[in-house]
Amino acid sequence: MPDPVLYLKSMGVAAIVSAIVVLAMAMLRRTVSSTRLTSACVLAMGLGLALGCNVLEMRWTWPPVKGLDRLLMIVIPMALGIELIAGLEKLPQWVAWFLRLSLAAVAPRILLHGSVFLTGSGSDWTLWDGGVAVLICGALLAFTWGLLGWLSRRSGGISIPFALSLTTQCAGLTVMLAGYLKGGATAFPLAATIISTAIATKLVTMRSGTSEKLGLAAIIGVGVIGLFGVLMIGRFFGRLSTGSAVVLMLAPVLCWATELSFLRRRKPWMVGSLRLGLVAIPLVVVLAVAKRDFDRDMAPLLGEIPTRDGVVDTLIRRNL
Amino acid sequence: MVVNLLATQRQSFAIPMKRNHQMRRLVSAWALVLGLGTAVCGNAAYSADEYAYDGVHSSVSFKARHLDISWIHGRFNEVEGKFSLDREDPTKSTFALTIKADSVDTANKARDEHLRQPDYFDTKQFPTIEFKSKSVKVIKDGFEVTGDFTMHGTTKKVTLKLMGGKEHEFKNGVKRVAFSTELSLKRSDFGFDKNAIGPIGDEALIIIDCEGMRK
Repeated sequence: MPDPVLYLKSMGVAAIVSAIVVLAMAMLRRTVSSTRLTSACVLAMGLGLALGCNVLEMRWTWPPVKGLDRLLMIVIPMALGIELIAGLEKLPQWVAWFLRLSLAAVAPRILLHGSVFLTGSGSDWTLWDGGVAVLICGALLAFTWGLLGWLSRRSGGISIPFALSLTTQCAGLTVMLAGYLKGGATAFPLAATIISTAIATKLVTMRSGTSEKLGLAAIIGVGVIGLFGVLMIGRFFGRLSTGSAVVLMLAPVLCWATELSFLRRRKPWMVGSLRLGLVAIPLVVVLAVAKRDFDRDMAPLLGEIPTRDGVVDTLIRRNL
Repeated sequence: MVVNLLATQRQSFAIPMKRNHQMRRLVSAWALVLGLGTAVCGNAAYSADEYAYDGVHSSVSFKARHLDISWIHGRFNEVEGKFSLDREDPTKSTFALTIKADSVDTANKARDEHLRQPDYFDTKQFPTIEFKSKSVKVIKDGFEVTGDFTMHGTTKKVTLKLMGGKEHEFKNGVKRVAFSTELSLKRSDFGFDKNAIGPIGDEALIIIDCEGMRK
């Protein structure tokens, strides 16, 4: 059964740990370099997510045999490693993006490893279908990651990780409403660590007077991979619909709307609000659809919400 | 005279030679018959009967507690299996069963869909539930079979008490044999999500009634 208190605890732990790590690493020296801040962000997100998941009583068993285990123990650590390398000041940008796109290409394959989608043992999936799904998912991940990375370099803004965090929380809720509790719950500490690391990084850059874009790429990178992973396991192993998964994956890209010439020169708070507002629209729609489907399919199983038939039976018994 | 004598000697030599040849043929034939007979009889004495799981007359069902006040019943509709039964030396018998987890059926479509998800059977990752025997012991009215039970990606050693084993042979040579067993297990032992166990009890009872068919 879903345990909201446990989810709040995991979010709290993830947020506090991430913020403390960023602030502590920034305080060790007066000047904050890009490499140092990126390393702090990577460490903060990794530690925050690990401890948050620990609160959720995730099993850490090797080798990881389930999609969720592979997300937490292979794909996200790979993203953390790549962002750590990408944060090196002397590293050419094309190398950083080559590494990111390589991860985008292999992540779907890793997440589906050993499943009926790749072994062809399922009745409705052939190996060809599985291969096509891996390619499309990789392309979708690369598209979102590329656009958000470009936007963060172009105009920056804390609203991008905020939008990503909002989408990740919504993805978690939608996956849970579709019936996959554990997969959805993973999104909560992830969303908390994204937002907390972003706020802590913003405070550090404000204090040191450096560019607010520092560390943003790492937060976005790990965040996008996490969001993609939750949606992919929700879609392929759970019952999340393809439409909902695609909309949720593309929702943060709506932040690009503020790059339109008549919106771009607005005040930062207005641009940020606009971004969040635009991203929130598809999220609300997806959540509403997920709630409707949950009430129709899952709620009767819990026995908490009366079904239409149940209500009719009660009325008949009461001679109404 | 000499010619006659020689001719008689040739005849007297020729008869035993012909007899020897016939004897050799006879012995060879007997040896062949005996050899084949031994081989056939020997095989019959040591070979086991191979049976295929008959889905029409078998069932794998289960029940689990709901809210600790009632039982939810369900079954798996797609099961395959085979077993070899050695009546001479039952310890050489083997039993194997493969259940398609996707075929779970609790007479409620939404619940079946829910049970296929990763919080429960995770059928996309673990499409089958399997049992493979490792050792067989004869007990009163059946066999005690110990083997590997794999479910949800976790393998545990379990011991089944297969009761029955009675045979029925049709005139056309088709032979049937049947066993029944019950297995109680904890879902948490097989890596099922602790939080998802909630309203459905941790302990589940699997009931297998299996009829094997040998053509």
